[in-house]
Amino acid sequence: MAVSGGLGPRLDRERFQWSSLAMLSPAVALLGLLFIFPVLYACYLGFTNLALVGSRSRDYSFTGLDNLTRMLGDYVFVKSAWLTIIFVLGSAIIGQSVLGMALAILLRNAVVPIRAVVGSIVIVAWVLPEVTVALVWYAFSQAGGTLSILLRHTEADYLVLAPLLIVSLANLWRNVAFSMLVFSAGLRNLPTEVLEAAEVEGASVWRRYAQVILPLMRPTIVTNLLLVTILNLSEFTLIYVMTQGGPGTETMTLPLYVYQEAFNFHQLGYGTAISLVLVLIGALFSLLFVRASRSQV
Amino acid sequence: MSAVSAPLSDRKMVAVPYRRISAAAVATNIVLVMLGFLFVLPMIWMLFASLDSNPDWAIKLPSLTLSNFADVIGTAGALSSFRSSLILAGTTTVVTTVLAMLAAYPLSRMHIPLKRSFMLAILFASGLPVSMLLVPVYQLYVELGWLDSLYTTALFLAASSLPFAIWLMKNFIDAVPIELEQAAAIDGAGTFRILRQVVLPLTLPGIAVTAIYTFIQAWGAFLIPFVLVSNPDDQPGPIEIYNFMGSHGLFKFGDLAVFSLLFSLPVIVLYLFMSRYFSGAFNFSGAVRG
Amino acid sequence: MVSAVRFEGVYKLFGAETAVEDLNLTAEAGEFLVVVGPSGCGKTTTLRMLAGLERPSYGRILIGDRLVNNVSPRFRDVAMVFQSYALYPHMNVYDNLAFGMRAHGAAAALVDQRVKETAEVLGLGQLLKRRPSELSGGQRQRVALGRALIRQPQVFLMDEPLSNLDAGLRVQMRAELSRLHERFRVTTLYVTHDQVEAMTMGDRIAVMNAGRLQQVDVPETLYDNPANTFVAGFIGSPRMNFLPGRLTSVNDKPGVEFLGASVQLTDASRLRADGRGSDGEVSVGIRPEDLMWKPAAGPNCTLALSAIVDVVEPMGHEAYVTAVCAEETVTSRFPPRSGVRTREKVELALDPDRLHLFDAKTGDSIMQRPVVTTDEAVRSAREAWIQESEAHRPQRSSPAHGGSAQAGGSQI
Repeated sequence: MAVSGGLGPRLDRERFQWSSLAMLSPAVALLGLLFIFPVLYACYLGFTNLALVGSRSRDYSFTGLDNLTRMLGDYVFVKSAWLTIIFVLGSAIIGQSVLGMALAILLRNAVVPIRAVVGSIVIVAWVLPEVTVALVWYAFSQAGGTLSILLRHTEADYLVLAPLLIVSLANLWRNVAFSMLVFSAGLRNLPTEVLEAAEVEGASVWRRYAQVILPLMRPTIVTNLLLVTILNLSEFTLIYVMTQGGPGTETMTLPLYVYQEAFNFHQLGYGTAISLVLVLIGALFSLLFVRASRSQV
Repeated sequence: MSAVSAPLSDRKMVAVPYRRISAAAVATNIVLVMLGFLFVLPMIWMLFASLDSNPDWAIKLPSLTLSNFADVIGTAGALSSFRSSLILAGTTTVVTTVLAMLAAYPLSRMHIPLKRSFMLAILFASGLPVSMLLVPVYQLYVELGWLDSLYTTALFLAASSLPFAIWLMKNFIDAVPIELEQAAAIDGAGTFRILRQVVLPLTLPGIAVTAIYTFIQAWGAFLIPFVLVSNPDDQPGPIEIYNFMGSHGLFKFGDLAVFSLLFSLPVIVLYLFMSRYFSGAFNFSGAVRG
Repeated sequence: MVSAVRFEGVYKLFGAETAVEDLNLTAEAGEFLVVVGPSGCGKTTTLRMLAGLERPSYGRILIGDRLVNNVSPRFRDVAMVFQSYALYPHMNVYDNLAFGMRAHGAAAALVDQRVKETAEVLGLGQLLKRRPSELSGGQRQRVALGRALIRQPQVFLMDEPLSNLDAGLRVQMRAELSRLHERFRVTTLYVTHDQVEAMTMGDRIAVMNAGRLQQVDVPETLYDNPANTFVAGFIGSPRMNFLPGRLTSVNDKPGVEFLGASVQLTDASRLRADGRGSDGEVSVGIRPEDLMWKPAAGPNCTLALSAIVDVVEPMGHEAYVTAVCAEETVTSRFPPRSGVRTREKVELALDPDRLHLFDAKTGDSIMQRPVVTTDEAVRSAREAWIQESEAHRPQRSSPAHGGSAQAGGSQI
């Protein structure tokens, strides 16, 4: 009666449920058509001389590494890559993360009404449409605008004097809420016993943050850096609406350069090749963070 | 009696430093108020300029008027751009939310081969820059004859917001105790009834957060419609504002401010409506192994 | 209909872990079978396999005569009370109770009637409009119970249903569950880690450890004649004392040597025919209540030992005394106010009839003890009792007797 000896085949192998396929397929279909296919297509187009208009919009061909050699000799591209890195480093990695963490810690310790009001203001800045942010910062930094009045140089147009700085500040102003929310959630998830233990042991506030809270927050910090870098690398709208990459090419970060090459100068192939470099930079940054977070544990 | 009161008084002694308003607490709140003021400053311009009969770039107390509002609300361009934005963001939100919901449930609950790889691919996909997809999608839309339509443009917006939406929805479904579904199954409920009467009501906040997040993103979307929609009558709000800035922004500050204010209102209202649930969505702990 | 439940050679493997190994277990129709064991012993997995929430890796599971290995939970006609209760948080009590019947397509009027009956039986009548979050722990427990009761299933499954209640409420619900079972007589599998719940509620108890079934029997037999050291140590509080000993012969008759003393085995504690121990090495088990304070011991306690008191734990109605006797630590139950103190020398006494002997290596019992309550006696009693319950059963669901259910409810 009992089947204790030779047990035979397992009876509890996971069964594939066809309903799961049915539920997944619409999403997979949409992603396949408008995400995965374009990604693969981009990897091909980046090595062609496809143009937006003219004969090469139809009869384009594979040109191997031509686009890459062209890039290396392209003064604007090299500048653009540097601008992108400076923008991401300053506005996102340093600015957004540090201010976001500061806001999260300050809000945690503030009285309720101030916490509610300031928290909401910061988040509203983030949910506003990007064009609106671009507009209010455009107004803010114009000659005769609020910034020039505050700095007592009413004739100074700061969008011309320090375009990258202003654009970075506007971006910081808009996106800091994201880091703040991530860090607030991270702080909420800290084990309270550990914090209380540190408090009972008489550790000063600074010591508690430096030696207990920040090390515990490490995974959250790494996650934030990763996401913030990736999101800001592809920032287009804010900069484009404020400056169109100008004056000259002073704020021409890679996403803007991709757009300009592809749709203003009709070089679709070359533009795509630049966007591939942008992805590579993102992958490089991500790898760096993940490495750094592992090596020191 | 004395044995009881002794620890009590001890506790009181410990509690005293917390009750006192410390210098650090005052500093914290003052710094926050200052930061809050700096943050609100650029926004104030939009509000004041919209009510000012003679606005310029600086923030100044307005000489009150509603004529700016009257100017903008009457124009056909403003109305049609609102309509376009609504179609664009509405379609995107519906498509994204429904597909994300359908996909997230099996990813959360069912046995699917290669599920982990699929989730990693989704996480990776949500990090790819739109700039990369712009040219191939443009080419594809040329081939398919999909250019210049708000609905097909919404489809691409939906595809680009879908990875994050699936990821978000899966987290919300993961949070529903699986025992509830098991209890319902033992109670005799079929898959459809479990989904409709147990899973759906319990993930409603998650669905709302996903939908509103998607809507806010799509409402502000600029680059994708900028490239894919060229018909001037179909331009959504962000592009209308951009064009306005370029053409006559330098003369009509008031109208510009009113237009962006009106265009921002829906997302602000939506955010305030959902703010209670929003912060929970940004809990990325454990998303990346540190 | 009430059905028996049978596990035949059932295994459950999770990766490399064996959660349940070669389980052969039957719960008779109408029986209240308690599955008890420490956490991780496989008891909950066993229950979940019966519910259909896990599928067995090998073996067969039957409800009545039906093989249910591949039957999904919804078609098994079982009801389950979860440890967490798993009440639907977005539905009020009424809808929670009604959910199962509605899922089975019952008519609204019948659902309404049965919800009200069940609510009366469990004293939930005033709470039907409340959400689970507005209920106390005990009330939630009752709703969970009601959700199972209302279905009138073939089998009840309960997974540590009382573990989230505070101590007083737990005792009260224990009695109430027993009373409900008396009344409805549905086959019940009750999983718990609490041996007191097992002893007080089970018709029979199945003890599990490390995925293996150790012993299944009525509570008294389990207590008096444990099959091995695990069962002996798990059932009973304070824990049984285990002392190293050797089989010897005393006056040419079998005896055992431990704590420096030798005892001849009596008729009440005969060795099994094959009971040799491992080269004569045995583990001697003595329950604390059998190791008595000499001044309080009865005439049968012929074996006397002296010991030094280490710890005295007064419990009110008695005291647990831990003492050191021949370099072994033993626990003994003393009468209250015995006056003994730490480091005092005391005399302990022991009835040789009450010794338990286990193989020192395998831990299996090597004794053949005549059991007072035999299995047969219990079984025939139970059969009588099921027939009686079958006779009573129709009353419960027939509308004409709705009033009697309410009257019954007020007794609870």
